[in-house]
Amino acid sequence: MGKAFDIELIFTSIPQLLSYLHITIWILVASLVIGSTLGLFIALPRIYKVPVLSQIAAVYISFMRGTPILIQLFLVFYGIPAFLQLIHIDVSRMAPLVFVIITYSLSTAASFSEMMRGAINSVDKGQTEAAYSIGMTGTQTFTRIVLPQALVVAFPNFGNLVIGSLKDTSLAFTIGVMDMMGRGDTIIAATAHAVEVYIALAIIYYFVAIILEKFFVKSEQKLQRHDQPVHV
Amino acid sequence: MVIDVPFIWTAFVEILKALPLTLLITIGPLLGGLLIGIAVAAVRINSVKIITPIANVYVSFFRGTPAILHIMVIYLGFPLFINKLSRYYEWGFNANSIPIVVFVLIALSFTAGAYMSEIIRSGLLAVEKGQIEAAYSVGMNRFQSMKRIVFPQAFALSLPNLCNIFIGFLHTSSIAFIVSQKELNGAANIVASNNLKFLEAYIAAALIYWMLTMLIEGITALLERKLTVYNRGGVV
Repeated sequence: MGKAFDIELIFTSIPQLLSYLHITIWILVASLVIGSTLGLFIALPRIYKVPVLSQIAAVYISFMRGTPILIQLFLVFYGIPAFLQLIHIDVSRMAPLVFVIITYSLSTAASFSEMMRGAINSVDKGQTEAAYSIGMTGTQTFTRIVLPQALVVAFPNFGNLVIGSLKDTSLAFTIGVMDMMGRGDTIIAATAHAVEVYIALAIIYYFVAIILEKFFVKSEQKLQRHDQPVHV
Repeated sequence: MVIDVPFIWTAFVEILKALPLTLLITIGPLLGGLLIGIAVAAVRINSVKIITPIANVYVSFFRGTPAILHIMVIYLGFPLFINKLSRYYEWGFNANSIPIVVFVLIALSFTAGAYMSEIIRSGLLAVEKGQIEAAYSVGMNRFQSMKRIVFPQAFALSLPNLCNIFIGFLHTSSIAFIVSQKELNGAANIVASNNLKFLEAYIAAALIYWMLTMLIEGITALLERKLTVYNRGGVV
């Protein structure tokens, strides 16, 4: 086994792990895109207080935010095949990556809809009234006036959501996805050194998180440039 | 039907037995994290030289990496370290004799510490400076004004964040099954594979987590109403 702790292995395993970073990013981007779209549609019935639909949305959000993502991952992984079997569709050979993206999208949708609900409610009601007063329809008012302002309000929270999702992706390997964590397992099996590989993984996640954070701070400054105080 | 509904109840009862361990892995790190968080927040608020940059890196690193890696690095790394020390100083003991749950508690305490320090910092900074000045003006010393004026308000202001971190760590404790801890998720895994009823077992586990989360939210809401009495505003 050689040395108990081989510091060199940290550096040699980083490139090997990095070659699987695109899978992590793919899970992140796919679940964010699907989840935010879905989340917006879940937020709408709650904002406009649509009967029945709004209660269903509330239960959905409460459940997704009330259970660990790991449990959700297992529920989707075992639940979807079981339900599809009822209508005689066999998905037992579907790639685990699909289940991961479904789970993370559903989870993102719940967080995103709560975020958007808060942001949309924070837009001054006078804005809606002003839009109506110049003859805009409800949809126009929402998409042209309210939504753009709400997105700016929600932006910092969205940054946190993305970094949170990035960290959640580290659990995808539990249902057999070959992402960075999965690749890490194979390196551990080959070298019998585990701590070094996990440290290497931590370094990669940390750097990705820092890059995302920098990006969000920069974008936020850009988005809020019209809000800057006027210097006389 | 593919789902064995009565088995969900059987699994529910079986998994619920793992609740004490889950609560230990949730509350233990939060208490440990509170101590770390107070120390780190104190360092960062007073901007102590040299230690502040270290504290900043600690907070950003632990917030930027997944908790599962904290558990794995400490669970696998600490024994190497302890065994080396033990051999060097001839303590005559081996890290194998330490229960795994200790490593989980240490690892998650570090995770919680990073989040706690941010909560404490923002809570303290949210209390208006005028409050401290007012306390000084009536002759309180620094300690008194902190204990009687700043902390109670900072605590009330931090409650929503504390509720979130409590729920967050309840959910994070589900990762401990990776190092074969029999907490709720670990128990669900065992029930699932023993009976080959995976979906039912995880539904039962999800229901337990969900109920616990709602319970925490309910208690926080009650507590918040009590603690922010001073802030009701209005005339009467």
